[in-house]
Amino acid sequence: MKEKDEISRRDFMKVATWSIGGLIGLGWGIPAIAYVASPAWKSEQAQVWIRLGATSKVELGVPTLFKVKVKRQTGWIVNEEELSVYVLTEDGRNYIAMSNVCTHLGCRVRWIAEQDRFFCPCHNGVFDQQGNVVSGPPPRPLNQYQVKVEDGQLFILGG
Amino acid sequence: MVAKFANWLDERVSWRQVWDAIFLRKVPKVNWFYTLGSATLFVAVNQAVTGILLTLYYVPTPDHAYDSVQYITTQVPAGWLIRGLHHWGVSAMVVLVVLHMLRVIFYGAYKYPREVTWFSGIILLLVVIGFGFTGYLLPWDQKAYWATTVGTRIAGTPPLIGDYLLRILRGGEDLSAVTLARFFGTHVWVLPATLMLLLGIHLYLVIRIGISAVPKKED
Ligand code: HEM
Ligand code: FES
Repeated sequence: MKEKDEISRRDFMKVATWSIGGLIGLGWGIPAIAYVASPAWKSEQAQVWIRLGATSKVELGVPTLFKVKVKRQTGWIVNEEELSVYVLTEDGRNYIAMSNVCTHLGCRVRWIAEQDRFFCPCHNGVFDQQGNVVSGPPPRPLNQYQVKVEDGQLFILGG
Repeated sequence: MVAKFANWLDERVSWRQVWDAIFLRKVPKVNWFYTLGSATLFVAVNQAVTGILLTLYYVPTPDHAYDSVQYITTQVPAGWLIRGLHHWGVSAMVVLVVLHMLRVIFYGAYKYPREVTWFSGIILLLVVIGFGFTGYLLPWDQKAYWATTVGTRIAGTPPLIGDYLLRILRGGEDLSAVTLARFFGTHVWVLPATLMLLLGIHLYLVIRIGISAVPKKED
């Protein structure tokens, strides 16, 4: 009887120690994961309408570059950053606004008028004027922003 | 499965021998005061874990230190908790380490053959105080700034060497970016390295020599 008691007491202590230890471990571990990994689900940028400029600046059938300053919050720092957007219209009424960020690995593309193409300097990605991939590694057309026109001014939705 | 892997590993690295030496060593019949060292160790681990996490967001420069700390406390999920644990841990650490030392003093546990354990403990005490002193500046708020102004000025009071001491601590005449950088470097590199080395010696000796018994009346 006594023998048995001692064994179970020992086992009890063992389980208790590991359980309490485990709980304390979780008490550290879960907050630590939230703390380290939160950028995965926390977005710092609110989506707002950004004014690009007058629609009259856009040439018919040619992607026209607009550069705008936007305030971006990264961590505890608020910075002015320049956003480059290519705007294209075929009829002067419907506009598409393309991001200049290459859909391959994020370099910046440039419109080369003589060749009628966007070129990405990093791995020779080539896009046509609508932003569709012509050649190279990019998997998707250039990203587009939602556009609206008010009083002859172009706006895009972005952050 | 786990047992099998444990055996496989033990056959190669003999971890059970190490485990047994640490956890199954013989101890005299002691009391709760003997847990104060382990309690200090527990808080030390807390300081290490939360401290490492804080460096993931903290930036030790005058133009970012304050804002990055505010960001941790108000924006980062569980940031208030991580910072809080680290903040209150320091006080717990100082209290526990002093109580642990008192227990060693009152039980005469510093005597032969434990002198080296004792002296490694003395340096550990200084390291703990050093952590507190250097860490206090890092939030770079008014309290931090003036406390360190005063603290370094006190270090500057001894004759002859005082002025040199003050300038070494501050990295110049005044508190500046240089001060913040060297306090940070000391707080996260110099002191942790020293702590680990001394703690290694301290705990090795505790295990190697064995823990002292509670002294009796007739001793
Ligand atoms: C970072 C701070 C410290 C830690 C983590 C620490 C940890 C420990 C641990 C776990 C023990 C085992 C026995 C017990 O818990 O009482 C111990 C023993 C001991 N400590 Fe510390 N200690 C620290 C600081 C100090 C200080 C400041 C002193 C004194 C100046 C000191 C002197 C001793 C001595 C002499 C022993 C042997 C006691 C005996 O064999 O009965 N330690 N320490
Ligand atoms: S990033 Fe543009 S082609 Fe690779």
